[in-house]
Amino acid sequence: MDDRTMLKIEKLNVNYGAIQAVRDVSISINRGEIVTLIGANGAGKSSIIRAIMGLVKSHSEEMTFISPRDGKPVSIQGKPAEAHVKLGISLSPEGRRILPQLTVEENLTLGAYIRDDAKGISDDMEYVYSLFPRLKERRKQKGSTLSGGEQQMLAVGRALMSRPDLLMLDEPSLGLAPILVDEVFGIIREINAQGRTILLVEQNAFDVLEVGAVGLSGTGAELLNDPKVRAAYLGG
Amino acid sequence: MRNVRNLILTIIAVVLFAFFLDKAPELLNGYWQRILNLIAINAILALSLNLIYGITGMFSLGHAGFMAIGAYVSALLVLSPAQKNSMWILEDIYPWLLNVNAPFIVSLIIAGLVAAFFGLLVALPVLRLGGDYLGIATLGFAEIIRILITNTARLTNGSLGLKGIPAYTTLFMSWSCLGIVLLCTVCMLRSNFGGVLRAVRDDEVAAKMMGINTFKIKVIAFTLGCFGGGLGGALMGNLITTIDPRMFMITQTYNVLMIIVVGGLGSVTGSLIGSVLVTTMLEWLRFVENPITIGSINIPGIPGMRMVIFSLLLIMVIIFRREGIMGMREFSWNIFFPKKKITDVGSKTETVLELENVKLKFGGLSAIDNLSMKIKHWEIVGLIGPNGAGKTSAFNVISGFYKPTSGTIKFLGKSIGGLSPDEVCKAGMSRTFQNIRLFGNQTVLQNVMIGSRIRQKYSWWMTLLPFVFTDVIKEDAEARAQAMNLLDQLGLDAFADEKASSLPYGAQRRLEIARALATRPRFLLLDEPAAGMNPQESEELMKFIRRLRDEFDLTILLIEHDMKVVMNVCDYIHVLDQGVHIAEGTPAEIKANPRVVEAYLGAGAAEGGAA
Amino acid sequence: MELNIFVQHFINALSLGSLYGLVAVGYTMVYGILRLINFAHGDIFMLGAYFVYFATIVYKLNWGVGVVIAIILTTICGLLVDRIAYKPLREAPRISALISAIGVSFFIENFAVVVFTGMPRPVVQPPILMKPIEFSNGVRLIPLGILVPVVAFLLVGALLWLLYCTKPGLAMRAISFDIETTRMMGVSVNKIIALAFGLGSALAAVAGIMWALRYPRVEPFMGMTPGIKAFIAAVFGGIGSVPGAMIGGLILGFVEIMSVAFFPTLSGYKDAFAFLLLILILLFRPTGLLGEKLEDKI
Repeated sequence: MDDRTMLKIEKLNVNYGAIQAVRDVSISINRGEIVTLIGANGAGKSSIIRAIMGLVKSHSEEMTFISPRDGKPVSIQGKPAEAHVKLGISLSPEGRRILPQLTVEENLTLGAYIRDDAKGISDDMEYVYSLFPRLKERRKQKGSTLSGGEQQMLAVGRALMSRPDLLMLDEPSLGLAPILVDEVFGIIREINAQGRTILLVEQNAFDVLEVGAVGLSGTGAELLNDPKVRAAYLGG
Repeated sequence: MRNVRNLILTIIAVVLFAFFLDKAPELLNGYWQRILNLIAINAILALSLNLIYGITGMFSLGHAGFMAIGAYVSALLVLSPAQKNSMWILEDIYPWLLNVNAPFIVSLIIAGLVAAFFGLLVALPVLRLGGDYLGIATLGFAEIIRILITNTARLTNGSLGLKGIPAYTTLFMSWSCLGIVLLCTVCMLRSNFGGVLRAVRDDEVAAKMMGINTFKIKVIAFTLGCFGGGLGGALMGNLITTIDPRMFMITQTYNVLMIIVVGGLGSVTGSLIGSVLVTTMLEWLRFVENPITIGSINIPGIPGMRMVIFSLLLIMVIIFRREGIMGMREFSWNIFFPKKKITDVGSKTETVLELENVKLKFGGLSAIDNLSMKIKHWEIVGLIGPNGAGKTSAFNVISGFYKPTSGTIKFLGKSIGGLSPDEVCKAGMSRTFQNIRLFGNQTVLQNVMIGSRIRQKYSWWMTLLPFVFTDVIKEDAEARAQAMNLLDQLGLDAFADEKASSLPYGAQRRLEIARALATRPRFLLLDEPAAGMNPQESEELMKFIRRLRDEFDLTILLIEHDMKVVMNVCDYIHVLDQGVHIAEGTPAEIKANPRVVEAYLGAGAAEGGAA
Repeated sequence: MELNIFVQHFINALSLGSLYGLVAVGYTMVYGILRLINFAHGDIFMLGAYFVYFATIVYKLNWGVGVVIAIILTTICGLLVDRIAYKPLREAPRISALISAIGVSFFIENFAVVVFTGMPRPVVQPPILMKPIEFSNGVRLIPLGILVPVVAFLLVGALLWLLYCTKPGLAMRAISFDIETTRMMGVSVNKIIALAFGLGSALAAVAGIMWALRYPRVEPFMGMTPGIKAFIAAVFGGIGSVPGAMIGGLILGFVEIMSVAFFPTLSGYKDAFAFLLLILILLFRPTGLLGEKLEDKI
């Protein structure tokens, strides 16, 4: 095992009744990387990420998370989602899942639920607001009144509030206008530059690769070989 | 052969049981006769509540109210004028009521009909509610009925109740009633109409798209169930000979609910087994409340202990075997005979639709903005765009699930804007859903047969007596043959008797299409048919979609993300982005359209198609 | 109607309504989170009344101590019900939990019959609560009539503070919209659900105690009718909404008391009003007064 490994998964399987959504998938993620899972709708990308987060039942030979905080490998197979957050994993889920009746600020506060350091929380909230100034303007508004793009920003910001070492983003570009997609991906790179490892799920390879191309100035094909951005294409 | 064998076995069993009942008065003491009677009555009540809740999926807590109506109607009809005269003490009985009288059997039928009438009155307003709200509303009606009975003393003798009702409920009566109810229930549930009832429970949205007026179906099932409740109540009153309003509290409904849950929601066999178990258990547990003498020690009875033990058993059943004894399975003689295993077989120019300036808004948000398009006969048209572009909303508007905020939709020359999904379906349109919506608990064949219900001519009530109205049997046989034919064409024939939810993913997609085709549509909407398929499967799908069009003379509109499928199979493509119709044209034109490339396809797409 | 009598009715309605409201809050919290009609909630209310009866009248404890003990014991019972009968069924279809709730309700009622016997027992009210206060305009009030709504409003106010100004309250509101997402935020959902049951049971205990004082007696089935009516109040106010439950309770209390006050001939139908109101609101505003409209997803 590479000493930079953060997450190692061997032969992950997810079943919904008779339907096998994920079959024998192995993934390894190193500290500091952005890893992207690409595949068509229904290919099982979300199932993988939900299995890692402990939101669906799964089987695997190994599912280990090595926290950069103490370097100790911990098996996360079968653990509930709330335990993952404490280890340093967080997820911005598919469909954003903003809590519609809570304000922007309450959504963010909820993201920091496991933390007790009031100062650190308010610093991080300011940090999220600096990434997404639009959220600051709307911090007293209910989640349901935000536009799709703002909700997506809130979902990413909320996932950052637990100070995760591994940030998982499930289709952050879903339903966003192309310009917003650029913006969101730019911010994702910024978050990554500050030392967080990112696991990204995208449906449309072009989104990721093209946006990547703007930021990293390379073509899609080059990017596939770029150690910084690895794309794992998942067939059905 | 199998059917004949099963019929013979059933007749033998019934004859044996009838013989036993005939001898029962000599063989059994009063206690056991009473239990047998209660079993039959509880079974009638359970079957009727099961029809409402287990089969059709309407959570009703109102059964006690309908039982009360039945019990009072029957009692008032069978009590003699002399008895009535002496019973009404506080207020005088209505003079017209004093002399109303009817034989017991007639009183049973009237009791059922009056309960059904009240059921219909309740159903029309409250069945529009769903889920728990329906439960609470029906509970409310049952309580109101009880309070009305308490307060209309001239009619019901108020809280004093009715005493001395003739004990007409004999073993023969109760079990014959159960026999008739059971026969009718089984016949109805085995017909295609029974499939429709379950379809409404499993997925109301998909059922509407099969052309089914689900509200009407629910009203029918609810009213029939209330008839059963009234009948059961009437038999109960004539068994225990005394009734008063306190007998019909919510606990009475809970008793019946428990029977069907213990037996298995949705299973007729379960209701019967549940009645036997729960009734016997409740009676047997009475011993804990009676004093027991062992030798010289006297243990006094403990009041309330019976229900304590019973409720603990109930909680345990729910926690450890929540699907009940039968689940949704039914008894069949076939379990005594080995079954042949199925081996798996591999899967083998006029304007139809015109949208003009269609808008759809939710609150302030615009989901579709000014969509206009024309689709010609025999075309395969693609609808593409990023997630959230309003494609599925467009489908929902076209197929009648959403009413357009403005604009017109014409289908085959007629305006269909504002029609409900079942009406749209009857007009000749059918669809599939992005997240497959099959009637998961039913077999593949039943799923497809439900699609042909809109073409069947027989009425629902004929299914109660299919031997009289042989059209039911004939038309169901036709529907079955047609459904088998469709399954055969789509390579699903080997799965015909499997549960729909147990099919592999690709087969479920094809089954959904088969079900849509069973309504004989002229226009088919496919929502992401290639979702979740691997490249080889989507290759097959493309051929399949073309074949569908050719063999079934269809026009097809499809939403799809797999660009390879869209570009290869579609004759014409419309592109939506954030609710706005940004482009249309042939696949080649779309690939070259800069706006489409920018908003959706991305720069790399023009050459390659999806990765 | 004379002023004095009207004020009496008004105070009666206010205290009956706030008792319904207190019980309704427990229904609404549990329903908001688990979509479960906790049929046993009315029986928890009954337990609160019995515990205070035993503490103060049988064991002769001071009323203050008795009330605290009764609240603690009732809360424990509420938590046990969740732990034993509902928690194993979290992933099960909702009907299973509902049947379990019906079973628990039967169990508590009949267990109470076994332990306490079915005989109603009179409650001796502390004289200080019963000494009438006379006002200059001839209006006479007993302190209990004022105490009940005051306590109820204070408690609901405290609950609202907890829900809107504390972290567990935030988590509780979040769970009612989306359990899975809340779990992703690191919230131990089962603890928060237990908290909701605990708070609901404590409020029900207080309501039960005050009910026992107002209608001075306790009996095993005393929770049934108030329980169902409180649930109706919760639906009326918009299920899932705490202020809605309180408003629903008050409206129900006023309708019941005032309709009988102004139309004494209708007193036999008193219990029907609640259901009539319920059906009307369900037909014309299915989400209740303060409930949110939910969009159907196809």
